[in-house]
Amino acid sequence: MQILAEAEDLPKTANIRTQLISLWSVPIFGAILLVAFAAFPGFFPPMSPDMPANQVAAFYRDNEAMIRFSMITFNLCGIMLLPMFMVIVVQMKRMATQSHAFAYCYLTAAVSGATLFALADIFYLTAAFRPDRNPELVMLLNDMAWIIFIAPVGAIVAMNLLLAAAIYFDNGPNPVFPRWVGHYALATAVAMAPAVGAAIFRTGPLAWDGGVSFWLRNGAFALFVAVMFFVLRGVLQRQAVDEGVAR
Amino acid sequence: MTNTDQTASDLDIAGPSHSAARPVHMPGDGAMWVMVLGDFIIFGSYFVIFMIYRAMAPHEFLESQQHLNLNVGALNTLVLLTSSWFVARSVQAVRAGDHSRGLRLTYLGGLCGVLFIVIKAYEWTAKVAAGYTMPSNQFFMFYYMLTGVHLFHVGLGLLILGIVVRELRNPRRRRLSMVESGATYWHMVDLLWIVIFALLYVMR
Amino acid sequence: MSSAVSTESAARPVDPGARPAGKRDVWIVFWIVPAFYTAFGIIFFALARVMPPPRPDVTTDQMAHFFHAHATTIQIGFGILVLIVGGAGVANGIVVYHIKRMTVGSVLGYAYMGSLAVGALPGCLLVAFCFLTAVYRPDRDPQLLALLYDLGLLSYVGSLGCFTTAWFAFAIAILYDRNQIFPKWLAYVTVWQIVTEILAIPVFVSKAGPFAWNGSIAFWVGTVVFGFWLSCLIVFLKKANDLQPADEAPLP
Repeated sequence: MQILAEAEDLPKTANIRTQLISLWSVPIFGAILLVAFAAFPGFFPPMSPDMPANQVAAFYRDNEAMIRFSMITFNLCGIMLLPMFMVIVVQMKRMATQSHAFAYCYLTAAVSGATLFALADIFYLTAAFRPDRNPELVMLLNDMAWIIFIAPVGAIVAMNLLLAAAIYFDNGPNPVFPRWVGHYALATAVAMAPAVGAAIFRTGPLAWDGGVSFWLRNGAFALFVAVMFFVLRGVLQRQAVDEGVAR
Repeated sequence: MTNTDQTASDLDIAGPSHSAARPVHMPGDGAMWVMVLGDFIIFGSYFVIFMIYRAMAPHEFLESQQHLNLNVGALNTLVLLTSSWFVARSVQAVRAGDHSRGLRLTYLGGLCGVLFIVIKAYEWTAKVAAGYTMPSNQFFMFYYMLTGVHLFHVGLGLLILGIVVRELRNPRRRRLSMVESGATYWHMVDLLWIVIFALLYVMR
Repeated sequence: MSSAVSTESAARPVDPGARPAGKRDVWIVFWIVPAFYTAFGIIFFALARVMPPPRPDVTTDQMAHFFHAHATTIQIGFGILVLIVGGAGVANGIVVYHIKRMTVGSVLGYAYMGSLAVGALPGCLLVAFCFLTAVYRPDRDPQLLALLYDLGLLSYVGSLGCFTTAWFAFAIAILYDRNQIFPKWLAYVTVWQIVTEILAIPVFVSKAGPFAWNGSIAFWVGTVVFGFWLSCLIVFLKKANDLQPADEAPLP
């Protein structure tokens, strides 16, 4: 984006710039999070809910280093994705033909969802903290970690429904998002919703190691973040041009 | 040495403008010096704590220190000193009005910074592969944490140098105070590394 | 010397006949900040005994003993905390308010608000819940008490990323701001906060020494820096309140 010289010091330029910074946290920290995801020994393949307590305890004992590395990275870097969702809030507020209700609901839902993400890794790390803990208790912590990580998709489902609705209602002469983004958000919500089954089922595709609850849910989320990065870049470019900040 | 760029930079703290007849020139701006001094104090506390733990287990620390590669550490020190030299010369160039030279030198300084990170990454990988990880013992915990938080500062420094580059490329800006602030920060990073190098690698 | 009013989108026009409320609302909100953090300090230091945290390198029986010995003050302290924790929301909210008075747009204010809202659970309330649960039944199995002990303290000292994101957002906002709401060096003090979060990474690994959850580096230096940052923040919130013109239009 080529910022115009005359617009250098204006507040609306800073507005664009801070949104760009928030957006660029995605590729940087997204890459780091993907590395952490690949490094966690319990994701490839995902641990089975049917593992007996002794095996779970042995898993945490034998893989201390990698568990800690990946989960500490999640702890430190996971919430750095939040600014991108805040850019979506700011852009929703720019939609001309509606009130900001959807935008503020999106904001609160994003915060709820992020809280759950921040909570899950603490459980994995506590399970790995004392190798000589009673295996039944290690399994309890492991269960909570997985259930909190996979199952609570309600926030992100709500966010995507709100985004889709806002895009569909954005009939203004200058819609902020291309219409297909609304369809895509809806599809992501649908893809992630069944993962709630992870809190109920211990086998099958809906269990936390299953094709639907693990692979589809996480894959859809990662893809959504990646796609929205490019979408928002375009949106910010258009905003900058519209407001006379860039060429 | 007169300062021709005393327009209010956006890094100046709120306060009366520089309208004194003979301004004393403090390089950069006050805010960056707060950062530098505070960082020294915080790192200073880490260094003192390191010394205390070293005094409590001198054999363990000495023995573990043998496993550090002194040559790689010295190489990194050289790289960072060189980068500081480039950055210092770029400040001189900008003061003399030669912005394109200042820009080139800033790039070179940043390049050295990237090289430092690459060498550090190689060093860490080698250590981990040899079995020396954070939980190995107290010395290695200090090693990874001190070099790690320093690496974070190098990363921030590269960001700051990037801002300096953007400043120098824009003919409407090119504020000297920005360039000097960036250089101040970078020299701090260099100085911190020298102390870390001395404590972790050299001190017997 | 008054700070410039933000030149963002036009504020709602104020009915000229209406009596302006002045800045009473901002002052009320401001005074809640030091009041809340004083209470927070009393709760966490004196009552709940979480600051400084009890040691990680103790036996299960010693952990059980900790809970038995401090059950009453834990219940009083954390019981009060879950009542007044809204003060944390207020403390974060007034900062968001001033960020919105800057010239940087809203996104960083939202990021600050969101990150700290996230942090309230794993980074502040989870330890309260764990400890309250631990002392709820005096005859609980010590192994269960040990689990709650670890979970509470690891989450309290080890919740890093949410705060890191908030500090990044705040620092960037201050550095880009041209309304000079806060001094630039507060941004650098905020960067030190990020440094202390990084230095707390080893609490998930170390059970003793400077990098344990009660260690001189991972806990104490971090607490001192936080205390300094908070003091600066309160001083400059007061200054920002003082400098805000009494007739400044409400934010859009």
